Amino acid sequence: MIFEMFRPVHRWIWCDAERRAHKLLRFGETETDGGRDLVRASETTPDSLLRRLYLEHAIDEHRHGVMFRRRGNEILRSLAPGSNSSFQADWLAPSGHGVDDLRVDEEPDEALLAFLHLSEKNAADRFSVYRDVLENDIPTRAIFEEILRDEVFHMNYTLTQLARVSPQRHGRTLWYERLRRIWKSYLRMAAALGAVMGGFILTVQYFVILPPFAWLAKRAERRESPGWAPVSPQPNRPLQRQY
Amino acid sequence: MKILGVSAHYHDSAAALVIDGVPVCAVQEERLSRRKGDASFPLSAIQWCLDHACLEPDALDAVVYYERPMLKFERILTCALRAFPHSWRAFPKAMQNSLGERVWVRGIISSHLGVPSSRILFTEHHQSHAAAAFLTAPTRRAAILTTDGVGEWATLAVGHGERKPDGNTEITLLREIRFPHSLGMLYSTFTAYLGFAVNEDEYKVMGLAGYGRPTMVDQVRRVIRRTPDGAFTLDLGYFEFHTTTERSYSDRFVELFGPPRNSYEPIDLETAEGQRFADCAASVQRVLEDTLVDIARTLHQETGLTDLCLGGGVALNGVANTRILAESGFERVFVPSAPGDAGCALGAALYADRIHFHNPDRDVPDHPFWGPPADGVELARLAREDGHRFEELDDSTLIEQTADDLAAGRVVGWMDGALELGPRALGHRSILAAPHAVAMRDRLNRDIKFREEFRPFAPAVSIEAADRYFELPPGGARLARFMSGVFPVRKEWRQRLAAVTHVDGTARVQVLEHDMAPRLHTLLEAYGRRSGIPVLLNTSFNLAGEPIVNRVVEGYTTFRRSGIDVLVAGQTRLTKRASPLANAKEEVTCSRSVERSSAR
Ligand SMILES: [Fe+2]
Ligand SMILES: [Fe+2]
Ligand SMILES: [Fe+2]
Repeated sequence: MIFEMFRPVHRWIWCDAERRAHKLLRFGETETDGGRDLVRASETTPDSLLRRLYLEHAIDEHRHGVMFRRRGNEILRSLAPGSNSSFQADWLAPSGHGVDDLRVDEEPDEALLAFLHLSEKNAADRFSVYRDVLENDIPTRAIFEEILRDEVFHMNYTLTQLARVSPQRHGRTLWYERLRRIWKSYLRMAAALGAVMGGFILTVQYFVILPPFAWLAKRAERRESPGWAPVSPQPNRPLQRQY
Repeated sequence: MKILGVSAHYHDSAAALVIDGVPVCAVQEERLSRRKGDASFPLSAIQWCLDHACLEPDALDAVVYYERPMLKFERILTCALRAFPHSWRAFPKAMQNSLGERVWVRGIISSHLGVPSSRILFTEHHQSHAAAAFLTAPTRRAAILTTDGVGEWATLAVGHGERKPDGNTEITLLREIRFPHSLGMLYSTFTAYLGFAVNEDEYKVMGLAGYGRPTMVDQVRRVIRRTPDGAFTLDLGYFEFHTTTERSYSDRFVELFGPPRNSYEPIDLETAEGQRFADCAASVQRVLEDTLVDIARTLHQETGLTDLCLGGGVALNGVANTRILAESGFERVFVPSAPGDAGCALGAALYADRIHFHNPDRDVPDHPFWGPPADGVELARLAREDGHRFEELDDSTLIEQTADDLAAGRVVGWMDGALELGPRALGHRSILAAPHAVAMRDRLNRDIKFREEFRPFAPAVSIEAADRYFELPPGGARLARFMSGVFPVRKEWRQRLAAVTHVDGTARVQVLEHDMAPRLHTLLEAYGRRSGIPVLLNTSFNLAGEPIVNRVVEGYTTFRRSGIDVLVAGQTRLTKRASPLANAKEEVTCSRSVERSSAR
């Protein structure tokens, strides 16, 4: 497991109390969000057993969210005020369902179950590493321990149910989902890279093209008087216009 | 004539359909997509509206977008130029945001709906707010005051409207205050500073204000100054919302008010720090009220009208609305159920109908129920499939039974008819409970809403009994129709209405007329016969961070995930059994053993 190989890194990430607190708070948000997606899944599935399971899964995730947030706040309160470690290393130590994006309404149960199974498996892998490196923080460790038990249940039921709803093709569905994950992470990376490049080009334009216009805009602003401005007296400015 | 109104791309998108001058339906995208404050182009909402009216898009005479996107883009660009070079970090993001789908609205609408671009119209943002406020109110002539964060350029506008005897309609906006000078942005900046979510948690600032004293009014007045002509300007040195996207207040702001609150940290009002935050909220609230009252008073003197229609997101501030009613000189103040941008979808469609197409004036039904219906049969199906105890009862038995439940201290999820338009549950998607004990408030906060504790719950009372329990000034009942005002609970009742009385002795009461929500009205009376007080706690049917439920299945999952004891939808009543949660896990174990045995 690649994730396992970074155990010393995780030990370092989790050793700082404030960083740990913020991580737990953020994990709390992610678990709660994941729970909402599952609620949505339970509301949209036509399969009544899946509805019950998704809902129970959602309730688990909500509880995880509460547990993480409560512990994060406990740690924060125990710290001296004013301490501030800003580096969160989020990309190195992601949360349970961290980088997964999910359009629940658009997924058939088969794809959703495969997706959930893989997410839960990832989460369980990560959380077991986090639990192991937290030997000095017993309460937080106990939380990971408890959550891990749920994640294992989630991992198992999603697989069992996938085999039920798709007895012939569940193996293929899982492989397809794995490939889709790789494709999606590529797309995410490409989009991020695109945004960085776009941002760079726009920043260059900002400094090259904008200065004279900025000067004009500032001059116009100085002429504006504060307070009320009259509304243009044409009440029937054509509604076809976008400006 | 069939006109579709659309609002999108800022916060809380929505669609509304007006046919022959009367609204037929309207719904916010978040209620369908289940993403709170969903600002994306409201395809699901549009689709639902068209399906509801059995229309194909090509049957639409016009699609009206609630603002002018190019004018908005001009404002964003101009602000970036004015803030040069400090805006260098925000500029790429602002351009990437705006140059995405936000500017090409005409293209998006015509590509999604296949409507020719000549049928796509654009109103101005504050015209939409003004129309949503004035054309839905039961008044023929009124002054209009709209306030929000920002539309294109305007952040506040005043004017007047008239529905003439000859059927013509006029809406005239006289003058406006322009970005970045904005009461909405001021309040949102304090919302962010106090560690709450902007565009969502402004009501928490109002709730928190009740716990504080306005000790920092002088500081707030340094941040927002009145101009000699009666308007105001923000001292931009205290703000950053116009230059960056990361933070709305500046270091100078922090110097003036102290360190901001960490959003994760609960507010402890016992500590000096917690009290400072409450005082800060009370101070900005006071300045907001003073400014609005002043502007409204001038508008009253200028127009000589007796009615005022309020629009824009700031009109959700019930405390300010009540002061406007009491102090500005207007006799009646109307606030629509959705004064914010969602309501602009309806406003834009009505504006086009009356002003652009010159269609004759029509009365707009005076209720907020424009969304999808709640289907009790669906609840019965879900309950049957999941093995829950449920009953299907006739109306009067159901209402008597529900009154018994409430009197016994049970919390009831109540779904009835069409969904409300706007952020408030006004009797069709509500969580109802007995309003008497503080313990009930705490239980709702802890087990059902999962949220901060300083926010008061609202009561609902029948119009016949309202005066007995609440100090309503003339015009107060109207303002309370859609929970748009905050009024004192009469002293002698405060103890018996403890779950809905805020720390300052007030409540954001809904005063209910029978015709608006007959079943809830009957329930209030039935409850009154049991408890002696025909008042119920009425809070929106959702959990913290989630949109109000729409379909029955959403009510059902909310019921299952929270401490709600009884769920009523249509004629169906569902109660919780001992431990429903254990069952699904058991089922999996069973289905696994079935699999194993069938494999053998
Ligand atoms: Fe989890
Ligand atoms: Fe999980
Ligand atoms: Fe607005």
